[in-house]
Amino acid sequence: MSAKDAYPLLEADLLPLSIGAALLGTGGGGNPYVGMLRSRELLRKGATVDILPLEALPDDAWIGEVGGIGAPVVGVEKIEQGEECYCAMRAVEDVAKVKMSALICAEIGGANSMEPVITAAQAGLPVIDGDGMGRAFPEVQMTTFFIYGAKPAPAAIADDKGNTVVFRDVVDMYWLERFARDTSVAMGAAAGLAIAPMRMDFVRRTAVPNTMTQALQIGRTVLDARARRLDVVDRVIATTGATLFFTGKITDIRRELKGGFARGEAKIAGSGDWQGCEGRIAIQNENLVLWVDGTPVIMVPDLIINLDLETGEPITTEVLRYGQRVAVIGLPVHDLMKTPEAMAVVGPQAFGYPDLTFTPLALGPVHG
Amino acid sequence: MTILRKIDVADMEDIAIGGAVLGTGGGGDPYVGKLMAQQAIRQYGPVSLMDVSELDDDALVVPVCMMGAPTVMTEKLPQGDELMNAFRALEKVMGRKIDAVLCGEAGGVNSTTPFVVAAASGLPLIDGDGMGRAFPELQMVTFTLSGVSATPMVLCDDKGNSLVLDTVSNAWTERLARAATIEMGGSALLAFYPMSGKVAKEAVVRGTLSLCAKVGETLRSARAAHADPVAALADLLGAQILFHGRIMDIERRTEGGFARGKATVSGVEEYRNQTLRLDFQNEFLIAEKDGTVLATTPDLITLVEADSGDPVTTDSLKYGQRLITLAWPCNPLWRTPEGIKLVGPRYFKYDRDYVPLGE
Repeated sequence: MSAKDAYPLLEADLLPLSIGAALLGTGGGGNPYVGMLRSRELLRKGATVDILPLEALPDDAWIGEVGGIGAPVVGVEKIEQGEECYCAMRAVEDVAKVKMSALICAEIGGANSMEPVITAAQAGLPVIDGDGMGRAFPEVQMTTFFIYGAKPAPAAIADDKGNTVVFRDVVDMYWLERFARDTSVAMGAAAGLAIAPMRMDFVRRTAVPNTMTQALQIGRTVLDARARRLDVVDRVIATTGATLFFTGKITDIRRELKGGFARGEAKIAGSGDWQGCEGRIAIQNENLVLWVDGTPVIMVPDLIINLDLETGEPITTEVLRYGQRVAVIGLPVHDLMKTPEAMAVVGPQAFGYPDLTFTPLALGPVHG
Repeated sequence: MTILRKIDVADMEDIAIGGAVLGTGGGGDPYVGKLMAQQAIRQYGPVSLMDVSELDDDALVVPVCMMGAPTVMTEKLPQGDELMNAFRALEKVMGRKIDAVLCGEAGGVNSTTPFVVAAASGLPLIDGDGMGRAFPELQMVTFTLSGVSATPMVLCDDKGNSLVLDTVSNAWTERLARAATIEMGGSALLAFYPMSGKVAKEAVVRGTLSLCAKVGETLRSARAAHADPVAALADLLGAQILFHGRIMDIERRTEGGFARGKATVSGVEEYRNQTLRLDFQNEFLIAEKDGTVLATTPDLITLVEADSGDPVTTDSLKYGQRLITLAWPCNPLWRTPEGIKLVGPRYFKYDRDYVPLGE
């Protein structure tokens, strides 16, 4: 699942990319649809975006990380003006006095898969094939870049109205999250964030590799399976090495907005191989833990993905509802997210589950 | 360059009292700022107060301020270097040396904070400010009326965080800076509204820092001479005595980050059998006697203790206090339609029109 050569991102790639990104969003990360339309407009107007392998650029090239910040539900209704991440990235360039050579995704999961594509099309830059999560996470500091020492400043946030706030000095990545979160709320709960420039040698060492390509391939698998009337869930499992952990019907869903996050829990009555069992998923924007009959079977940072049992469509946490029939699949997160440093930031404890010890999933067999 | 006067450690006592009087009940206690200014003057020497007309047209002038909830500011003290950090950071953003320091708000704590930066930088401090009083929000300055942008602006906290804002309007600056200030723990220090000497000459409310010093001196010497400090103060400010009475009732609520409320004062002596009602929102905004509006924002309404002439803040109002209500006209810059729109009673959501106080 790697592409060793640079390749141009074509209009036809955007739909599969958005489907794969939604799946890697593990229930959160926001809907990539609006970003996909925006990217398509830019490509149709003649912009080109190349996807570069991690090996492509020299060590001293500067790489910019951009992404949207805010509540995913807001992002769908309050359509972004389109240049938020671009303005934030330019503001960082100004303060840091560097020119970016390429952009990289903060999170491949969900809407933020599209943000670097949009910014890259506007700025005429390539996008690196990789990201900072290999999935979606709710907070700014939860990237491999920050976990392995990226500088928290200077970073910048920009809104649809033309306001920019530069975080010139911040004590640490947690302070960046606090300021960026609060500022995004004041800006209307949707804004573009660019973090401090990173050197290519650092990105090479810390990025979750090849995730743009991975998302594209997952999306192509889904579209291909649908076109050939194959079982989409089976095909996704076969091509990604994911494991099926539960199938059933949603019987209860509880959601509340707490501290700017959608937190809650879904209960699933088992069907098929899990007839008579009860599944339970804890949610904080993303799916955090799956329990089957009280035993935790998948937990953060591994990926817990709800797919519609019939269509294979990934189901985001905000549209989960009573009666849906779902397949819950688990996919191991990249090894960079399993070290003790990573556990401190994205392990079950960091999400408020002190009693859980992270038990990593094994990668299943991968068929073409 | 002509220096109006040198401000030394002892002068800061007078200025802090004057700042509280111009604070019209709000603006934060000048005490903490006074201590910081005195410390800076001891360390770096006295501050030169300069008239705004002395500035070159192309000089760069920058106001500094403390922002946040007055109650927090008195308990959570700045670490010490934030104001200078904000000032120097803005200098970097502007890409040139700043030539003079300006006061954003002569009422309350910010009557004293610019002295910290003026002392530490050795730069002259302009005798004037952007309000001639205190107001709760950062776009409420005469600089806004002159079209000066609050940004680029630098916001610093005690932990070492610093933010640079670039916004589409001064109202947006207020909104974003307020959010950041809350995150910083309820108080932050800032350098903002960078402007040229030419603009400053038009936009600054002149003479307000020396007025603060004179208010302090006047109260001090009247007390020493066993004269009536309130009469001396009213005389200096050209203020009317609106009322004399005891606080009978206070109603306070915290709403949208403001201490909003009402106070009812029952008249004594020649005001016996009369009732004054005061509306406040951090500052005193409306004074109404038996249903007749006597004074409204942006004119200045200040309450002082009847015996000592000491100013009383809205958050320290208590049942039974015997207070005299003074009111005097605001700077003419506020009396324009734009000024009233920015700081008149309707902005503060009162269903009242501005009633200009007679001279």
